[in-house]
Amino acid sequence: MQIHKAVITAAGPGQTALPLQRLVDRDGDEKTALEMIIEEVDAAGIDSIGIVISPGNEDAYRNAAGSYLDRLTFLVQPEPKGYGQAVLCAKQFVGREPFVHLVGDHLYLSTQSRRCVQQLIEVAAEENCSVSGVQPTNERMLPFFGAIGGRRLPQTERLYEISRVIEKPTPTLAEQELTIAGFRSGIYLCFFGMHVLTPGVIDILDTLAAERNRPIPLAEALQELANRERYLACEVEGHRYNIGVKYGLLTTQLALALSGVDRDQVLSDMVELLATR
Amino acid sequence: MATIAQNRWIQTITSLDDSIRHRTLESLCDGLSTSGLLHATSELDGFRRQTDNLYHRVRASFFLAAIYRFHLPKTFPETQAGLLSYRAYQHILERRFPEAIDQLLQLQRTEGPTIAVSSALARAYHQLGIQTLADQVRRSVRSVRGNQWMFRIGHPSEHPLRINKKLHQTEKSTDDYPILCERTSVRMDFSHSGWSDIFFLGMDYPEGARVLNASIDLGVYGRDATPRPPVEAYLRVIDRPLLRLVSTDLGAEAEISEIDEVFDFAKDYLGLLKGALIASGIVPPAMEGCHRKMSELLATLFGRDGLGLELVSRVNDIPKGSRLAVSTNLLGCLISVLMRATGQVSRLEGGLDFADQRLITARAILGEWLGGSGGGWQDSGGVWQGIKRIEGVLASEGDPEFGISRGRLLPQHTLLSEDRISHSARNALQNSLILIYGGMAQNVGPILEMVTEKYLVRAGKEWSARLEAMEIFEGIVAALESGDIKRVAELTTRNFTGPLQTIIPWCTNRFTDSMIEQCRSRWGGQFWGFLMLGGMSGGGMGFFFDPTIQSEARKWLLETLVATKRSMETSLPFAMDPVVYEFSINDQGSWAELLNHESAAMPDAYYGILAPKLVRQDLRQLSPQSQRELMRLNRRCRESDSRARWLLDRLLPQPAQTGQHESNLRELLRVNGFDRQQHEKIREELTSGRIGLSENRLPPQTVIEDISPDDIVDLRERSLECQKSSEASLGRAAIASNQIGVITLSAGVGSRWTGGAGVVKGLHPFCKFQGKHRSFVEVHLAKSRQTSRLYSARIPHVFTTGYLTHTPIERHLKSVEDYRYPGPVYLSRGMSVGLRMIPTLRDLRFFWQEMPHQVLDEQAQKVRESAQSAIMGWAQSTGETTDYIDNLPLQCMHPVGHWFEVPNMLRNGLLHQMLTEQPSLKYLLLHNIDTVGAHVDPLVLSKHIESGACLSFEVISRRIDDRGGGLAIVDGKRRLVEGMALPNEREEFKLSFYSSMTTWIDIDQLLESFELNRTMLADQNLVDDAVRIMAQRLPTYITIKDVKKRWGLGQEDIYPVAQFEKIWGDMSTLSTVSCEYVAVQMMRGQQLKEPGQLDGWVRDGSANYVESLCDF
Repeated sequence: MQIHKAVITAAGPGQTALPLQRLVDRDGDEKTALEMIIEEVDAAGIDSIGIVISPGNEDAYRNAAGSYLDRLTFLVQPEPKGYGQAVLCAKQFVGREPFVHLVGDHLYLSTQSRRCVQQLIEVAAEENCSVSGVQPTNERMLPFFGAIGGRRLPQTERLYEISRVIEKPTPTLAEQELTIAGFRSGIYLCFFGMHVLTPGVIDILDTLAAERNRPIPLAEALQELANRERYLACEVEGHRYNIGVKYGLLTTQLALALSGVDRDQVLSDMVELLATR
Repeated sequence: MATIAQNRWIQTITSLDDSIRHRTLESLCDGLSTSGLLHATSELDGFRRQTDNLYHRVRASFFLAAIYRFHLPKTFPETQAGLLSYRAYQHILERRFPEAIDQLLQLQRTEGPTIAVSSALARAYHQLGIQTLADQVRRSVRSVRGNQWMFRIGHPSEHPLRINKKLHQTEKSTDDYPILCERTSVRMDFSHSGWSDIFFLGMDYPEGARVLNASIDLGVYGRDATPRPPVEAYLRVIDRPLLRLVSTDLGAEAEISEIDEVFDFAKDYLGLLKGALIASGIVPPAMEGCHRKMSELLATLFGRDGLGLELVSRVNDIPKGSRLAVSTNLLGCLISVLMRATGQVSRLEGGLDFADQRLITARAILGEWLGGSGGGWQDSGGVWQGIKRIEGVLASEGDPEFGISRGRLLPQHTLLSEDRISHSARNALQNSLILIYGGMAQNVGPILEMVTEKYLVRAGKEWSARLEAMEIFEGIVAALESGDIKRVAELTTRNFTGPLQTIIPWCTNRFTDSMIEQCRSRWGGQFWGFLMLGGMSGGGMGFFFDPTIQSEARKWLLETLVATKRSMETSLPFAMDPVVYEFSINDQGSWAELLNHESAAMPDAYYGILAPKLVRQDLRQLSPQSQRELMRLNRRCRESDSRARWLLDRLLPQPAQTGQHESNLRELLRVNGFDRQQHEKIREELTSGRIGLSENRLPPQTVIEDISPDDIVDLRERSLECQKSSEASLGRAAIASNQIGVITLSAGVGSRWTGGAGVVKGLHPFCKFQGKHRSFVEVHLAKSRQTSRLYSARIPHVFTTGYLTHTPIERHLKSVEDYRYPGPVYLSRGMSVGLRMIPTLRDLRFFWQEMPHQVLDEQAQKVRESAQSAIMGWAQSTGETTDYIDNLPLQCMHPVGHWFEVPNMLRNGLLHQMLTEQPSLKYLLLHNIDTVGAHVDPLVLSKHIESGACLSFEVISRRIDDRGGGLAIVDGKRRLVEGMALPNEREEFKLSFYSSMTTWIDIDQLLESFELNRTMLADQNLVDDAVRIMAQRLPTYITIKDVKKRWGLGQEDIYPVAQFEKIWGDMSTLSTVSCEYVAVQMMRGQQLKEPGQLDGWVRDGSANYVESLCDF
């Protein structure tokens, strides 16, 4: 499986301005969040990137894209009709090819040499199927994420065959349907905000959109994908940072700074701050 | 022999072969001697300790309990009384059963088997078995998937649930939040399950656990137009960050701002709502004791600050004790509405999916466990729709119960759709069966324990009965499927009269039997049969009639039920008048709808509770939502005059509600000889601390010793045959020459017998003899009749009465013509009463903390402690030592102790009359109403006459349940001593003998001790003075008694109140009264204090013993 395209969704209500926020990256350079997300996919060898945006936001995104502007395709979602519909907006863009999908309000920091998207793409290429990035997550965070149920793939450390996908499950449902052998009680595999998807998911979204006159959650399409074809989850070695939650931008900035060249300066600033406040 | 026994016992427990596993207890014990049984117990105990399998352990414990209770004591003489170890007793009270067993076995090894140790081991093993089962149910409830997370989430900020946004979106026009309303049916068990839905039993023998359960809607006949779901729950977001709980049926409301308050179940009447909040995961059980604010939790649940939740429950006037699992289904309804609101079940509105129903069932079980109660696993059946089979399931790999118990905790539900039970069959059922509530509210807890033990030890005839009940069950299903309702009725009746009464004779009572008889006699073949609902009859019941007369029969049934209740209400514990229902099968299950706009209103009763509180506040200080609520109420009242009047009645006091009780009470006190001066003196002494529970005790330096064998006449090994021996000749002659009379003490109401319900214990038809329920009074007369006939004697029989019991006993004896007793029957009316008082906090603390009480299972104990704290608050706010007047007048008064009963016979002239009518009378046999084995035994009478004593007290070998003092040497003097008078708890464990209170009285010597004689009895003043002087020589004890207050529809509260009494046994302390002591057989001297004793009393042969003394 060769992956050349990426789809970034940034049209969700309250999300549209997030990729435009400016942060300092690990190298000490000031960039927009959008640039950092694009860097993530660029490093994985993706050359064509589609960004799903709300109407009227294109100029702001153009300004925020920096040097990557010429590789971007802007895909406008005319009205907010759910996460699934946002992905479906990329139907023409992806054609019949597999693609990487990321959300526009998350930034990722890998804990190994390969970036997070790269890890995922390698698994998808090797296993020749859709792969979603997941991370073991405490049940208290369930109201914020989609989660999967399934079983560990034999002879592997971090791969799982997905049988169940539920968006923001209650702990009750999670305990009944998403428990995976080997994890402590109350720990579930939640989405990392990063997927490699086959065009099959576009077909499913198409069908769902035609059948139902309501917002389509992506999780519903991913559940159907798991029913129809081989679909894996990969525990990504890295961390995700949601810049859309309270203090999310601050936490993300601190994480970047503490893992980059300005670590000592930031630490000493923080100590000073702690001493004086 | 021992080796054979050992192998058989353990094989029986462990075998996979049903024919071996179901071997009965009796067959296993058959022919074993003391040593054989002891060897078997030793092997069983060893097995119990080493086996990992829960059910093997429990069965071994129950086998051991049964051997020690019923089989071993029969193999050695009663004179091997022995003493109990205080430490072992303390271990039992503190629920440290294994430690208690170790100590008792050690005692048995050194001293050999004794009555005392055997009884204690029986209790310890029995409770260990029950505790092990309860622990397992608790573990299973926690380990059900979908429940586990709630035991991990301990901090509000970690809460993983969120309230559905639809509930906190206000309507634009009104700013009102919508109301989520859930309506749920109750459940009816057609088949009666033979109690097989008890969790323990389903987990032991899932193949035998099966019920036919229907969801039904109810209407009260004559009141409601059509049946409807009887329970409702309402949930609404409120604009204050707290939880508001309202129970419209119990008239209770609370605002909760601290998380810990949710776990305080017994603080108010909102325990069920609190249980639902916990079981639904809104306030997970792991948050108990987290000391956080409710606002923090609500902020997490809503994702923002400032909002709260209001949960309202409503039961459509269905009385408590209906045996239709109203409480459990209300719990299920509340849990369902809360789980919908938090997205834990699939739909916010409409019906529930199968998986949701299972989940709610599991949560309802959790909720019941949290509340310290525990119904059967079929009880939340109302959440489901239609008719279903609910059956136990064998545990398989992957189940948390696998390898621990044979069955799963949760049963399997199979809906019987219309292709199995047709629409016409359902209609036919509805057109034949009449459901009623008989009005009796009884505690079924002891019955459930009895059933558990009997099933697990495979008690012989009970096990066969269970197998028969299982066959009947299949017959009922088949009959229902074929639409043959008459056959259903035949089978449910056969089930009730056959297997159910064989397993638990106490599941029926005189009221039920009488109703069935009356139905048969009035309707003949058109009365098709009877159906018992729930754990025992008397509450919810069903009567099948030919559909052509159902309407007429319904009217007749209501009239007959009420009339029958009236005739028995002094002898059976009725909580309210009977009710007849109309019912229909509910085919949609629990159902929710979101009420918006004008329909978003709470039930009327909600406003009746909340409005008085709101209107007392300054309008401007009310939250906007409360202001809108009052405006809405205003509008609704303008629309309906009746609603406005109803509300006004709740807002303003009405005439004639107060004052009535008090004037009745004053009059009753006056008529019954209340001594105001003495009452005020007692109040003053109580307040100052000069008297009280701790002051009942003898000084600490008092020396208490057990008596030596020479100090008593020991008749424990003398059988009834000895009555005919020469040793008994003096007694026989005295009886034959009309020298003896009998006094049965019947002034009390036996508060332990019916939990303070105030029925006349003497008239309670407690047991069937010769196929008929007989009361204590009838049994005592039957014994005197037999003696009269045997010796051709005239034996006057006196029943002493009190203010509560006199009229009912008098009326009853008149109606049965004294049961055609050949001699005179007299009533000796009580001459004095006391007025109960609110106890002091000091006495309450002493009562709960210093006096011995059995600690309950973990959760039940928490509930008890919460209730005790609420009672302390009640005592403090009502006023310590003030008069207790907030109840029916008769419940506010108290008898002043049995010492007064004999002096009353002096004062009211009865003794004088008896001696005039029968001058030959020289002796009296006095006994308690519940000492059913006491009779005029010529052998004991001979010993009394030979001794020349004024009083001969009967004592028995002490068993673990015989608490409350006994025969002792106190500071060198032989006397009876009350338990509450002993300097400390330990002293009682030195005493071998327990007083049965049965006393042989030499009339002339007794009169002499009062400084009276036969002639002087005619002088009222002399008698009154003599009694007063004697009373002053005896101590006054302060006691705490439970009194039941009834309210609403079958609701009952129990309050501890303070009262005083003087005790007959203290006559033995007087130097001027010569006393003798006679040790008698247990069967003669034991007392029936609680209905829970009845089963063992029948099984150990005591009932047969009593029957052999009777001539009915």
